[in-house]
Amino acid sequence: MTDDTVAIEFKNVSKRYKLYRSDRHRFLGIFSSRVAYKEVFANSRLSFRIDRGESVAVIGKNGAGKSTMLKMITGVVFPTTGQLTVNGRVSALLELTAGFDPEFTGRENIHLRGQIWGLEKSEITKLEKEVVEFAEIGDYIDQPMRTYSSGMKARIGFAISASINPEILVVDEALSVGDKAFREKCDAKIREIMATENVTVIFVTHSRAAAEAICNRGLVLEKGRLAFDGPITEALDYYEGPRDTTGPLNDVPVTDLGDAISDV
Amino acid sequence: MAVAKPDRSDILASRVKRYGGTLVEVVAEHEEYWRQIFHLAAADLVKTYRGSALGWLWAVIKPTVTIFVYWFAFAVGLRASNSVSGFPFSLWLISGILPWFYISEMLTQGTTTLKRYNYLVTKIKFPVSTISTFVSLSKLYVHIALTAIVIVIFIIFGYPIDVYYLQLPLYMLLMFVFFTVWSMFAAPLSAISKDFANVVSSFVMAIFWMSGIMWDVNSIKISWLSRALLFNPVTFIANGYRNVFIYKRWFFEDRFALLAFAVTLVGMTALSLYTYHRLRRDIADVL
Repeated sequence: MTDDTVAIEFKNVSKRYKLYRSDRHRFLGIFSSRVAYKEVFANSRLSFRIDRGESVAVIGKNGAGKSTMLKMITGVVFPTTGQLTVNGRVSALLELTAGFDPEFTGRENIHLRGQIWGLEKSEITKLEKEVVEFAEIGDYIDQPMRTYSSGMKARIGFAISASINPEILVVDEALSVGDKAFREKCDAKIREIMATENVTVIFVTHSRAAAEAICNRGLVLEKGRLAFDGPITEALDYYEGPRDTTGPLNDVPVTDLGDAISDV
Repeated sequence: MAVAKPDRSDILASRVKRYGGTLVEVVAEHEEYWRQIFHLAAADLVKTYRGSALGWLWAVIKPTVTIFVYWFAFAVGLRASNSVSGFPFSLWLISGILPWFYISEMLTQGTTTLKRYNYLVTKIKFPVSTISTFVSLSKLYVHIALTAIVIVIFIIFGYPIDVYYLQLPLYMLLMFVFFTVWSMFAAPLSAISKDFANVVSSFVMAIFWMSGIMWDVNSIKISWLSRALLFNPVTFIANGYRNVFIYKRWFFEDRFALLAFAVTLVGMTALSLYTYHRLRRDIADVL
C-alpha cells in the first residue's frame, strides 16, 4: 500500500496510557493483568495520510493529544494499537533543551548526536561547524552542558535539529528560543527548510495567521480524536467554532509556552 | 479490551513466536547500531572517569583498596593465608575477585542504565536494548585493563603465562553476555519501579559472599549444595578465572558447572526477553 509519495501515514492509531494508583501497582501490573488501572486514550483511532512536501497544521486544545501524536511521529513513543508509517528523516523542534548529556560539553554533545544518528566523520565535522556558527554561544561551546542556561541549551538544540537536512520537520510553535534576534534567526531557518522541495512540515500552532501563512491543510484534534481534516481555513473555522466571528481563537491559553511543558 | 480466550497450546505457541520475534528484533537492533554502541561505550567510559583529578586512576584505586581490605581481613585477621594450589593466598584472592569488579558494577549500574540514559529513551529515537550493551561494554573495557594488570602481577610473582590463559577471552565473553542480558532484564524493571533497583543493590553484598569468591565452592562437602551453588553464574565466572590463574583446569573438565551456567544463561535470556517484550513500548511513557 505504501508508495513513494507517503511521508506519514496513521492507520487506526491509538495510544493508551495506563494510569496506576502508584508505582507499586504499576510494577505489579507487569506480572499480573489483575492489577487495576485507569485507561486514558491520548490518541484514539487516528487515521490520516500526509504526502511528501505537504505542510500540515495540527490544531487542538491542551490535552487534545497533539504532543503524543508528534512523539509517535518522532519515534520515541509507540502506538498501542494501529499502524504508523513514517518515511524519511524526522527532525523535531519540540523540546530543544532535552536530549543532551549534561556531563559533556556542547561540542561533545554535537559529536555524540552525530554518532547516535550514524553520521560519517566528515558529516559530523560539518555538523559541528554549522551548529557552532548558528548557536553563537562563544566559549561556552567547550564547557559541560550542565553549566548552560536553558537559553543556551535551546540554541544548541535548535541548531542541531535544524542542521540535519530533515525530510520531515516537526515544529511546535510554542517553542521559544532565546532573545528576539535569535528567534528571528530561527524563524528564517525554519522557513528556509520549509522552502526546500519535498520537505514535509508538521506545525503545531494556535495562531491563525501563522497557520495560514505556512500550511495548506489542517488537522483538528479533540480529546484524542481527529475531529477535522481539510483545507487550513476550514480547519481553523472548525476549531474556532460557530460562536467565534473575528477576534482571537477561543480557548487559546494566555501563554502558549505552557503547552510544550504541560503536555509532555 | 476483551478478547475471546484461545486455548492453552495456542497461547504457548503464540508466546514462543512473540518472544522469538523479540529476540530477532534485539539482534537486528544491535546489527544496525553496532557502530553507535562502540561510540557510546567510549563516551560512557570518558564520562565515568572525567571530572575527577585522578581520572583514570580511580579504575585501579578502587579495586586495589578492596583487595587490600579483604586480604588484610583474611590473611592478617583470620590468618587464612595458607597457600592454595601452590599459589600465595593473595594471588588466589586477586584472581577470583577480578571478575567481581565488573559484575558488581553491572549489578548496580547495569540496573539503572535506562534512568541514567533516559534522554536516549524519551528524547531521541534509539533502540533501547542497545543501551545495556554499550554500558556493559564500557565496563568490560575497564575489566580488560584490570585483567592485564593482574596478569602482570602474576608474572612479577614468577608465574608466567601458560596455555590455560587461552580460556580468558571465553570466560570474559560468557560474563559479558550474561550480565548484558541481565541488564536488559533489570533496567526496564527499575525504570518502572524504584524498589527493584533498591532490592538489587541491597543484595549485592549477599551475592558476593554467597558466590565462592572468598571461598572455594568445591571445598563444600555436601555435594548437593555445592552443585546447587554452581547454578550461580557469579560462582561459575569466579571459578573460571581461578581455573585460568590458579587451578590450571580447562573449562570443559567440569561439565556440570558448564551445563549449570548454560541453563542459567538460557533462563536469564528468556526472562529478559519476556520483560523487554512487555515493557519496551511503555518505558518511554514512565521514565
